[in-house]
Amino acid sequence: MNLAKKLSNQQENIKQPAAKDISQYFDFSRKSSTVVILIAILVVIGYFIWWLNIPFIEDIFTAGTITLIMTLGFQLFMGNSGILNWSYVGYVGIGAFASAIFSMTPAVKTMQIPTMYPFLINLHLPFPVALLAGALVAMTVAAIIAWPLMRLSDAVGAITQFALLIVINVMLSQWSQVTNGPRTFTLGGKRLTTLWVALGVAVLVIIAVYYFKESSLGLKLRATRDDRYAARSSGINFVAVRYCAYVASAFIGGLAGGLYSHYILSITAASFYMSELFMILSMVVIGGSMSVSGAFFGTLLVTLLRQFLRQVELFLTRSGFEASGSTEIVVAVLMIIFLIWQADGITGGRELSWRSIKRRLPSGSKKRNKVLKNKKQEEKA
Amino acid sequence: MESKSTFSVKELNKSFAGLKAVDNVSLHLETGEVLGLIGPNGSGKTTLINLMTGMLDKDSGHISLDSHNIGEMPAYRVPFYGLVRTYQTIRIFKNLSCLENAMIGALGVGTKHREAARLAVGLLEELGLGDKIDLPAQSLTFRDQRLLEIARALAAQPKFMLLDEPAAGLNEEETDELLSLLKPMPHSKKIGIIIVEHDMRLIMNLCNRLHVLNYGKTIAEGKPEDVRNNPEVVKAYLGSAAS
Ligand SMILES: Nc1ncnc2c1ncn2[C@@H]1O[C@H](COP(=O)(O)OP(=O)(O)OP(=O)(O)O)[C@@H](O)[C@H]1O
Ligand SMILES: [Mg+2]
Repeated sequence: MNLAKKLSNQQENIKQPAAKDISQYFDFSRKSSTVVILIAILVVIGYFIWWLNIPFIEDIFTAGTITLIMTLGFQLFMGNSGILNWSYVGYVGIGAFASAIFSMTPAVKTMQIPTMYPFLINLHLPFPVALLAGALVAMTVAAIIAWPLMRLSDAVGAITQFALLIVINVMLSQWSQVTNGPRTFTLGGKRLTTLWVALGVAVLVIIAVYYFKESSLGLKLRATRDDRYAARSSGINFVAVRYCAYVASAFIGGLAGGLYSHYILSITAASFYMSELFMILSMVVIGGSMSVSGAFFGTLLVTLLRQFLRQVELFLTRSGFEASGSTEIVVAVLMIIFLIWQADGITGGRELSWRSIKRRLPSGSKKRNKVLKNKKQEEKA
Repeated sequence: MESKSTFSVKELNKSFAGLKAVDNVSLHLETGEVLGLIGPNGSGKTTLINLMTGMLDKDSGHISLDSHNIGEMPAYRVPFYGLVRTYQTIRIFKNLSCLENAMIGALGVGTKHREAARLAVGLLEELGLGDKIDLPAQSLTFRDQRLLEIARALAAQPKFMLLDEPAAGLNEEETDELLSLLKPMPHSKKIGIIIVEHDMRLIMNLCNRLHVLNYGKTIAEGKPEDVRNNPEVVKAYLGSAAS
């Protein structure tokens, strides 16, 4: 009896499959090449532009890099959860105002915004700390209000986010003791967001957003995007995973806002509203909302396109044609075209990786052709 | 020596606007067993699975897995106690790769990332999807999507698995293949399976016991041979299928 049991136990032990070697699924090409490629592209362009030393181009790059941080934060939530997050620019605005209030000297604040609460006037933090604190304020606001909203999906979810954006916008534009109300909020002093500051933060954000997507949490969130019910019966609380991403996304939005206000040096609540959301959205959609590479190349492409169109617009206006606003129209139409024919954007929702590049290289396709040829010959034989 | 787990459902009820979809159903199952849940279209099989996994709120009744009262838990807690399911209408994560799809099953119950990948790769190879690990799930054939859903369920290392018509849409050959994959699982994985199917060949070859529903009520249960010859079952189900 005992012996028989022992024997059957032994047999079972033999049946146990050996531990799988899964290192190939965690190698450099799969796990890190995307981040390295994106950062390399950004740094090379940045370095080249810095070396050129033409202020006009340097400004375009710095502003574009700040926009990149915005789109990455936007992609973090929308791309992984599938919910159109209108309120995102609201958090960008909160970060912009909050970090400015933290970093300005009491003397400047008294002069620029006489209505401000005295305790805010007396606050004064060094720029990097103010930037982080501003992002933390945006994140805290999101953390306080988001939980009940995370239940809502699809159209209802998007509509709620839209209403929330309006609430945030009205707060920013009416709270005179904090944001100077509808009047322009001028930071004074010199531009603190330089090319290298924006670039440095962008590098960190690329890393954060990509590894979030690849983490267990990010994977769970992507599962809820594709099928909420299957995710639920696999053990995923979709409200909780969405909440984490939403709060993280608000943090990155706030960070981008802080960089923006210390770059542009005068802001109003209207700087963080529909047209800004539209710009971010068009970049993410055209690039492909489901991947970090999509947000990256979408930003690159649309930024270049907008600069080009703006020049055309200027030229036309100077030569007597009424062309203002045509940039917006072209970008909007392009977005519509993408949504109809290529809803996953130029990246098709995939990441650019070393593997995907190798496959496109002539040597890679040669190898493939060889394999195909061999197969065909085998079939013939 | 070997510890068995028990899944049991007692006096479960559910109505949809007056229609009794599940009417006082009780059943139980131990690990290592396969229970076939059969009945004509609309007899409440899917509703019963939805209730057992917490995807639908029951009107009354008890659902327990060993000493855990899983009937009172939100659906996303249920897999943690060892109960997983698949869907009649395939529900996969279409933009995720096969590997990621299967990993979700393990990650969902708190398995660490690497370990989840290891489990997922093993299961995908076992179910014959080893060469499709990197493909997005939406590019798979119907058959492979069904198998992927089973891989995801198994990745949670469950004690019980509920399969809702896993052979629906498969041809005869594919169904045989599915049968040969499922057949050893109760023993090799020490799980209990409840399978809903209209394909009687699959049911008769796989199940230790059958449970027959009609209009939400249990009309027969027991050994497959006995149930097959039960006149009420013949009238309600087998008769209509044979005609
Ligand atoms: N969400 C719902 N709301 C209202 N009625 C429902 C709902 N789900 C199921 N029903 C009804 O409950 C009854 C049982 O349906 P169920 O889907 O459980 O049957 P089934 O046995 O799985 O059938 P099939 O073999 O066709 O899959 C049917 O009459 C169905 O119309
Ligand atoms: Mg059904």
